[in-house]
Amino acid sequence: MISKVLLALGLAVLMAVTGVASYVYLGSRQSKVVAPAQKPTASTPLAQAFTLPGTIYLEQAGALYSFSAGRFHQLTPEVGWTQPALYPDGSHLLAVKRSGFYSDVFVLTPYGGVTAQLTNNAASPRNAWDTGANAWSFYPRLSADQRTLWMSYDGPKYVGANYFDVDMAVWAVPVGAPIRSGKAWTVANNYTGGDMQPVPVPGGIIYTKYTYDENGNRTGQLWFTNRAGSAGHALTSTGAGCLQPAISPDGGRIAMICTYQKQVSYLEIATWNGSGLGALQILISDQIVAEPIWAPDGSGIAYLAPGGPAAPFQLWFLPKNAYAPPPASPIPTPSPTPGGPHNGPLPSPTTSPAPVAPIVKPIQVTTNLGFDATSPLAWLG
Amino acid sequence: MTTITLVVLAVALSAVAGGFAYFLPAAATALQETGQAVTIASPSPASILFSPSPSPSSIAVSQGAFTVLLLGSDDDSKFSADHVLTQSMILVRVIPATKEVTMLSIPRDLYVHLSTGGFGKIDGAYSYGAAGAAIATVEQDFGVHVDDYIWVGLLGLIKVIDAIGGIDIVTSNPVMDDYYPSDIYGNSPYDYQRVAVLAGPQHLDGIHAMEYVRSRHSDLQSDYGRSKRQQQVLQAIRAKAKQLHPSDVPALATAIGGELKTSIGLDKVAQLVPLAASFDNPDAIRQVLLLPPYARSGAPDGSLTPNWGLILPLVHQYFP
Repeated sequence: MISKVLLALGLAVLMAVTGVASYVYLGSRQSKVVAPAQKPTASTPLAQAFTLPGTIYLEQAGALYSFSAGRFHQLTPEVGWTQPALYPDGSHLLAVKRSGFYSDVFVLTPYGGVTAQLTNNAASPRNAWDTGANAWSFYPRLSADQRTLWMSYDGPKYVGANYFDVDMAVWAVPVGAPIRSGKAWTVANNYTGGDMQPVPVPGGIIYTKYTYDENGNRTGQLWFTNRAGSAGHALTSTGAGCLQPAISPDGGRIAMICTYQKQVSYLEIATWNGSGLGALQILISDQIVAEPIWAPDGSGIAYLAPGGPAAPFQLWFLPKNAYAPPPASPIPTPSPTPGGPHNGPLPSPTTSPAPVAPIVKPIQVTTNLGFDATSPLAWLG
Repeated sequence: MTTITLVVLAVALSAVAGGFAYFLPAAATALQETGQAVTIASPSPASILFSPSPSPSSIAVSQGAFTVLLLGSDDDSKFSADHVLTQSMILVRVIPATKEVTMLSIPRDLYVHLSTGGFGKIDGAYSYGAAGAAIATVEQDFGVHVDDYIWVGLLGLIKVIDAIGGIDIVTSNPVMDDYYPSDIYGNSPYDYQRVAVLAGPQHLDGIHAMEYVRSRHSDLQSDYGRSKRQQQVLQAIRAKAKQLHPSDVPALATAIGGELKTSIGLDKVAQLVPLAASFDNPDAIRQVLLLPPYARSGAPDGSLTPNWGLILPLVHQYFP
């Protein structure tokens, strides 16, 4: 009798365990695509030993991080920080802090401490009722002499409330001066979103201009201008849909993202001669790729791309050999020596097969982070 | 021997029970929100603007093709339940045999004869008679047969996208809007907020994807531009959904509970899942927008005047 009770009890326990195990097992089979991204500081960047040179500054979930020697360090809390950019001398960072209705540019130390606020884009109390009285500042950059702040900016709007056109223009403002001391360098196309991502280059700026093409589709285009108030001239076609320009450390090449108005994007580079681009060279194609940045030592290009199909963006690195392979070393071709020991007809020289350059693949640096790819990277050498 | 059989049976039963418990919330949601009955009022002959193409349903049956009307609504507190406008109306034709998909975005401001009587913007049809009225209006005005509908509310779209871990999308331009309705998480449904969805390839969570597809103030193409963005997001959701595992279903069902309704029955859903996964060429998805001259502004209350002479041949080309 007792043994039957024990048996029944044991069976009940076994059934309970089996049921719970079945439930837990199914839960553990959930796909990784819905798993929340890890904080960069909680992850190991890469299984194998691979370290990028210098320090990369990047943003995830409203916080800025630095990434050096294979380790992430959180610089700011998750309160809307984005779009880090370096001072040309590397001493400080510029970054944008987004709030609900506006965004401002700040100066930070390399360790994330705020040292100055360069813009004041919140609406004043007297017209706080008007959403449009606020302004956005995005994509800040400094001129080479560190005296001028370049940014995309959508104000001031003189037309008042209920004005629906919000277009960013590229502005230049003396560092530390109010916006009224600044100057709009570009004239945005209406109802396009405007002009974005200014990149100061010797003699002017390269930027992304949004426009309607002949089919009425809005698309990005790289432009160059060398004087305030002038749109300048286009560097890429509307059909290519290019954006996010990044200039190489030697100033001779531009990396960019082109979409060709599709739901995929291409990492491309082109030579830059100070006023125009050479032919576009596709480096990464037919996937989604964003935010290219050149390594300061010229060793390659880092960018953001999904770690898997439809997954959050991860950090990737494309070594230089992928787009600028070293010249093939000359292979000595044995030549017959007339008058030598050979006594018959000279063999016709055979053509040596051309050496096949090894395919250089991009390296995935992080695996389980969650970049949204709306923030450029900054890379300090 | 009998004891061992009983023990094995009991263990197997408890394993099944564990699985049943795991999928129970999903099953409950599915039963509640799928297979919604639709009452479609027969339009009076006078209200039919043209003769519908002959026996469309027989064509659908013969090829296994079917047509679904996707409806997206503002369902915030400005509206009472089921009396909402359908700000997004997309007619989707699927031909499984050839793996062809056609998505026709119907401008929400199109001035049409409503199935419930009178004329008005087509987005009002749902508010007068729920899905049945919206379907009947589309069927009578466009001369198509609608097999099923799927309705999703604002919060539903946000929850769906968050539940699948966000979507990857290439936004063609910055979407800037100073007068975006702050009606989902704001204090008042009549407040405004500013949005700035920056351009480029990016990963969007639910709230930002909603901002991307819903904003229309800063778009010269207004509702047309918005329709393009809606189709992009739908394709991105589809791409992401292909990566899901059946074990994700309960969490997904919990997330979208109450924010989605469909006339598609559970049995058909089971058939559609593998079918959707087999469509692996996004370029094979045909996107159709009724841009001018198919519709022009100038109708009452800012609505659009349809050019039926152009619209109907186009629609019947893809929705026979």
